[in-house]
Amino acid sequence: MKKILALLLALLLLPACQGSRRVAGSCTLSISCQNILDNQDRLAENKRGLLPEDGWLLAPTQVAFYQGETVFDLLQRVTREKHIHLEFSKSPLYNSAYVEGIGNLYELDCGAASGWMFQVNGAFPNVGASAVELQDGDQVQWSYTLNLGGDLGQVVEEQP
Amino acid sequence: MKNAFADTHPVVNLVYFLLVIGLGMFCMHPVCLGLSLACAVVCAGFLRPKPGKLLLGVLPLVGLTALGNPLFSHEGVTVLCYLPGGNPLTLESVCYGLAAGTMLAAVVVWFSCCNAVITADKFVYLFGRLAPALSLVLSMTLGFIPRFLEKFQEAGQAQAALGNPPPTRRARLRAALTQVSILVTWSLENALDTADSMRSRGYGLKGRTAFSIYAWTRRDILLLLWLVCAGGYVLIGVALGGVSWTYYPAMAGSFGGYPGTVFVLYAALCLTPAAFGLWEEHRWRCLMSNI
Repeated sequence: MKKILALLLALLLLPACQGSRRVAGSCTLSISCQNILDNQDRLAENKRGLLPEDGWLLAPTQVAFYQGETVFDLLQRVTREKHIHLEFSKSPLYNSAYVEGIGNLYELDCGAASGWMFQVNGAFPNVGASAVELQDGDQVQWSYTLNLGGDLGQVVEEQP
Repeated sequence: MKNAFADTHPVVNLVYFLLVIGLGMFCMHPVCLGLSLACAVVCAGFLRPKPGKLLLGVLPLVGLTALGNPLFSHEGVTVLCYLPGGNPLTLESVCYGLAAGTMLAAVVVWFSCCNAVITADKFVYLFGRLAPALSLVLSMTLGFIPRFLEKFQEAGQAQAALGNPPPTRRARLRAALTQVSILVTWSLENALDTADSMRSRGYGLKGRTAFSIYAWTRRDILLLLWLVCAGGYVLIGVALGGVSWTYYPAMAGSFGGYPGTVFVLYAALCLTPAAFGLWEEHRWRCLMSNI
């Protein structure tokens, strides 16, 4: 019985130990829904109150990140700290996460081509946010798009 | 005692249940939902033979959806805590789950009341002109379910009377299979009998009419008028957004004078069979004491 208790205690303490990971650097994180501000008529009426006046759900902020943290881990940790709503779905098989909504602004809320996209240092990585490890000094931007990234400056390839 | 509402004209019954079930399904205002469930339970007490058993089956539904919805829906501005998966548990999703569960439970109770009042012959009378084949098939199939259950129990009792209860789980399973086989045999035989009987009565022939003895009385017309007026008022309030409620992303809705009148009329509409039954009983007692 004592052994089981000790094991349980160890399991409980394990995540606590992980919390004291080494800080590996700092990067800039921002969450923006600027694009919706210009097209408010496409958003459902009961969601318009959620839009911040300047379009920043999180203005560019300097945050520290831990060793091995990915872009998605950072988003999850910071939104929790700042009490910003975040919903995602995770596929354990591929260890990938998909961001469905931030601040109750969801994908498909502004038409069929709308949703959240992320940029690292101005570029759109061709992999998921949970596959991009952070480097010191990275600029991470999460932004809401209304047309698959076209309004964020990404060139969308034509479908054959 | 049989409720007087079941003795009114079938059209009155149909209009009542269409209104009550439709409003119960489409009005998601929490006050409406609460009223709908409460009134459905009261009416079930008047219209159904064994209402208690139904309630025991239906109430866990409310808890189940209230617990289940937050597992899949994480929308909402009020984050209570975080689920083990990392997604937030929001107050809005819990409330929506509770509302959906209440709606589900209420509609189940309403349908069971509807089933008790609109019997197979009324069903055929109401829809026989519109869709003769479909209404016949529907009323026959719906009638089969309780009859199947009854026969199933009967077969089980007969089997039990033949010998001791089966000792092992395996034997019990085999006994149940025998019971099912008996049921299937019976139903096949019954279907043949029914087919023969219906053919000899001229079903499916051209120009066959159905006799029914439902006549309109002043009571039915007044009742229908009341249902249309009250139902129309509530329907307009709900359809035009006078009584509305949003759950996501933040809860908000209409309260005040006008929604208040809609709530009162909605409750009155839902309680019509109960009030009507009580009034008829009272009238009967008055007549009796006059003799």
